[in-house]
Amino acid sequence: MKPIYRIFLMCLIAIGAVGCIQEEPLNAECDIIAVTLPGNVLNRAPRIDNDKVVLIVKNDVSLLALAPEFELTPGATISPASGTTLNFIFPQTYTVTSEDGKWSKRYTVEVQRNNTISLDYGFEHVRQISALGGACHYDEFYETGTAGNETLVWATANSAFAMTLQGSTPNTFPTYQGDGGVNGKCAVLVTRGTGSFGARVGKPIAAGSLFIGNFDGTNALKNPLQATHFGTPFYNIPSTLSGYYKYIPGDTYCEADANGNFLPVPGKEDMFNIYAVLFESVPGMEWLDGTNVLAADNPNIIATAEIPDRHASDDWVNFTVPFKFRDGKTIDPDKLAAGNYSITVVMSSSQDGDFFCGAIGSTLCVDELLITCLTDN
Amino acid sequence: MKIMKKFSICLGSLLIGSLLSMQAVAGNNKKYSNLLSGLGLEYEVNAGTSIGGASPLPLPAEIRHIDSYNPKLNLQLGATVTKWLDPDKVWGAAIGVRVESRGMETKARVKNYGMEILDNQKKLSGRWTGRVHTKYQSQQLVFPITAVFRAHPRLKINLGPYLAYAFSNDFDGYVYDGYLREGNPTGDKYIFEDDSKASYDFGSELRHFQWGMQAGVAWTAYRHLLVNANLTWGCNDIFKSSFKTVSFNLYPIYLNVGFGYLF
Repeated sequence: MKPIYRIFLMCLIAIGAVGCIQEEPLNAECDIIAVTLPGNVLNRAPRIDNDKVVLIVKNDVSLLALAPEFELTPGATISPASGTTLNFIFPQTYTVTSEDGKWSKRYTVEVQRNNTISLDYGFEHVRQISALGGACHYDEFYETGTAGNETLVWATANSAFAMTLQGSTPNTFPTYQGDGGVNGKCAVLVTRGTGSFGARVGKPIAAGSLFIGNFDGTNALKNPLQATHFGTPFYNIPSTLSGYYKYIPGDTYCEADANGNFLPVPGKEDMFNIYAVLFESVPGMEWLDGTNVLAADNPNIIATAEIPDRHASDDWVNFTVPFKFRDGKTIDPDKLAAGNYSITVVMSSSQDGDFFCGAIGSTLCVDELLITCLTDN
Repeated sequence: MKIMKKFSICLGSLLIGSLLSMQAVAGNNKKYSNLLSGLGLEYEVNAGTSIGGASPLPLPAEIRHIDSYNPKLNLQLGATVTKWLDPDKVWGAAIGVRVESRGMETKARVKNYGMEILDNQKKLSGRWTGRVHTKYQSQQLVFPITAVFRAHPRLKINLGPYLAYAFSNDFDGYVYDGYLREGNPTGDKYIFEDDSKASYDFGSELRHFQWGMQAGVAWTAYRHLLVNANLTWGCNDIFKSSFKTVSFNLYPIYLNVGFGYLF
C-alpha cells in the first residue's frame, strides 16, 4: 500500500504548488503620471503623453531655471532627479526606469511660453509614425514657422485606429496626406470601418479627424468623446476662418442602435464638418472635448466659426466664414495677453462620427486653411 | 462549441453502447475469461470523467488572483489490455487507448501578462494588466503504456508514460477591465473598461502531440467491475514552442475517475 500513499502525497504537494499565488512582481512600467512646477507658474495643466511632456507656463516665467517635480509609476525612478533645476530654453530629456529595473523610457519635457501658433495651414508637412511594432504607419501633420521651427502638431485619432488592426500604409488610416491639393498636398479625412475589433468594443467606425489640441489615446476606448482635447493657447482676436474643401459622402449612412449594431439608415446622407472655436480656458475646463465643443450652453465659448452651407462636391469649394461672438461674450485684453484663451480648429469626415454614426468611405479633403486675425491686436 | 456538443453526444452513445455490449458479453463470460487468463491477458473497457486543467507550474507571478475556475464536464472512454508477466499476476504491462475530452474555464486577474489580439492578418501584442477569461477545450486520443503492480488481490497500481494526439483544440477568451501596454511595458497604454473587451484566440498555437505520465489505481469492486482513478500529468507545454505570447508553460494535469468492466 505504501506506493499509493506516496502517489497521493505527491499529488497533494503538486496541488499545493499549483494553488499558491506568488508574491506580486515589481512594477514593469515606467510612466510619468503627474508633473508639477513649484509656484503658480503653469498656464495650462501639463500635457503628459507616453514619451513627451508639454508644460505651458505663464508669459512672465523665465525658462532658464525650472525644477519640475514628477510623480512616477510606483517604485520607478527618474534621472535627472525630480526637483532638479534645469534650463528649459530647449526641451530636456529625462529617463524613467521601472521598479523591476528591466524597462526604461525617455521622455522629452518641453516648456512653452507665449507660443504663437501659425495661422495658415497648407498641410505640406507630415512625418510617419510607426505603430504595432512597425506593422503599420500613419501620418502626423505639423506646421512650421517662418524660421522652419515646428509651431503646431495637428491631432488625429490615427493612434487609436492603429489598435483596430485595420491600418497598414498611411492612406489606409482615417487621416493622411493626399496629392492634388489646391497648392501642393492636402489633408484627406476618410471615415473607416474598424473591423471586428472595433465592432466588439462597440465602435464600428472611425471618422477621419484633424484638430488643434491633443488626442488622449489611452482613454479612447473607454470614453471616445472625451479623448479629443480641443484647443491651444491663443493670443490674437480671430475674425475669419477660410479654406478649401472637397467632400464625397460614403454610400450607406449607418447608425449604431441600442444594442451596438451598426445599421443603415435609408435616405440619410453623411455630412462633414469644419469649424473653429475660441474659448476661455478655465480650471475644470482647460480644453473642450466632443461632449461640449459646440454646446450652446457652454459658458466658456466666446466665438465660433462654422460653415452654414456645407455640401458634397468633387471640386474644391472655397469658403470664408466669420467668427461669430456668442451673446454677451467679448474678449478681455488682459486675459488675452495672459494666455487665458484657447482656439481650436476641428475637421471631421462624418459630423456625427464621434457618436459612431456616418458612412464608411465618406471622404473630406481640406487645404489652405487660414485664420485671419484683427490686426490691431 | 458545436464540435464539443457533437463530441459529447458521440461519447454518450458510445458509453451506452459499450455498457450494453458488456452485458451481452457477460453471458458467456466464463469461457472468455478462462481463455484470456490462459494467455495472461486481461481486457478492460472503461469510462469516466476527468477534472483538472492546463496549469503553469508553479503559478507564475503574473497571475495575481484566480477569480473563478470551472473544470467543465470532461468525458472519456477507453480500453486497456494488460499482459501479466508472472503466473501470480503481480507484475504486468498494460497498453490502452482512450478518447478523452479535456477542458477548463477560468477567470483570473493578471499583472503584466503577455497578450496578443489577432485580426486582419495583424496582431496587437503587448502586456495586459487586468482580467482575463480563458476557455480551454481539447479532444484527444490518448495511448497510455504503463507498468502494473498488484498491491492487493483487489488493487492494481499502474504507472507509466502516455502519448496523446489532440484532434480538436480550442484555447480562447477575452481580456477586460484593465489596460494593455502595446509591445512592452513602455508602450502606449490603452484602457479597456465597462463593455470594452478584446478577444484572443490561441487555438491554432496549441500542439497536437503531447506526452506525459500517468499514475493510477484500480479497485476491483466486484468480479468484473473496476473503480479507476488515474492522475495524468502532461510533460510538455500545451502550446507549440514557437509561441511566445504566453510567457510560461501550461501543463495539462487531470484526475480521471471512472468505472471499468473487466472481461
